[in-house]
Amino acid sequence: MGFIRLVVILAVVLTVVYWSVSIYSRSLRREALEDAFDEEHPNGGAKGARDAYIANGMAEYETGLRKKLIWLVYVIPVLVVTGILIVTNTN
Amino acid sequence: MRYVKFFLRLLPFLIVGAMLHYWLPQHDVARVTSTEVIRQDFSGINRIFYAQADSGNTEQATRDLRLINTEKQKTWLLGFFPRESRGVMVYRNEDTGWIWPPYFKFDSADLQAEASALISAAGQEQWVVVTHYGWRNRFLSIYPNAVGLRAIDSPDVRIIPWFNIFFFIFAGIAALFIRAAWLQFRERTLDPLFERAGDRMDEVNAGVAERRSRLKRLFGRK
Repeated sequence: MGFIRLVVILAVVLTVVYWSVSIYSRSLRREALEDAFDEEHPNGGAKGARDAYIANGMAEYETGLRKKLIWLVYVIPVLVVTGILIVTNTN
Repeated sequence: MRYVKFFLRLLPFLIVGAMLHYWLPQHDVARVTSTEVIRQDFSGINRIFYAQADSGNTEQATRDLRLINTEKQKTWLLGFFPRESRGVMVYRNEDTGWIWPPYFKFDSADLQAEASALISAAGQEQWVVVTHYGWRNRFLSIYPNAVGLRAIDSPDVRIIPWFNIFFFIFAGIAALFIRAAWLQFRERTLDPLFERAGDRMDEVNAGVAERRSRLKRLFGRK
C-alpha cells in the first residue's frame, strides 16, 4: 500500500517537474533561435522569414536529443530510490 | 517591532533548518551496550516522531519498538568536532518503509540482529558508526532512528558525510534552476502579457479621456 502511494506521489510530482522543465527548455530554444536570426538579419530580413526560421528550428528541437534528455527527470529519481534502497538494506 | 519582524523573517529558515536537521543522516561513534524491545504507547504529541508499523504489518495504537542502547562519543557542532567525554544514547530501530523520510529502510530486524552481534563490554570496546536521523528528547520520549551500523577499529575516525554534501549541492543547483526558469517565464510570458494588458488599459484610458473632452466641449466648459 505504501509502495502504491509512493508511486502515485512520485508520478504526480515528477510530471509537474517534467512539464516545467520542458516549457523552460523550449522557451530557451526559441529565444536562442530568435537571437540567432536577429543577429544574421539586423534589418529584419524578408517578410515571414523570421517565423519560418523559428518554426523550422523548433521542429528540429521537437525531434532532437535535448528534448529526449528531459525524460531523465523520471529516470534519475527511480535510480536514486533504488540506490538508497540497496544501500540502506544491505548489511 | 523591528525584532519581531526580523524574527518572523528568520522563522521559515529556522523551520526548514530544523526539518533538515531532523531528516538528514548523521553519524555517531558509539559502543552498543544492549538491545531491547519495549512496548510504546504513542501520544498525539510524540506520534509524529515515530515511523509506522514494520513494512507489511498493520498499524495499531500500541506496538513494540526496537531500541539500541549505546554509549556514544560526544561531539560538538553536528558531530564535526569530537569531544573527550562519552554519554549514553538510545536509538530506536524502525522501518521507514516507502514514504517518509525516504531512507527506504525495511531491515530493522536485521539491523537489530547486527546490533546484538556488535555488543561489547567496557574495556574491550567494539566501536561502531551509527548512521541515524532524528532527535533524542527525554520530555517527549523520542529517539533518533538508527539506519545503519558499521563496525570500526578505532573511535578516531574521520566520517565524511557524502550524502549531505551531495544533498546540499543538489539543493543549490535546483534552487538556481528554479530561479532561472522563473526569470525566463517572467521575461517571455508574464511581461509580454502585462504589456499587452497595459496597452489595453492605455487604449481604454485614452478612449475615456476623449469622450470626457468631447462631453466638455459639448457643454462648453474648458
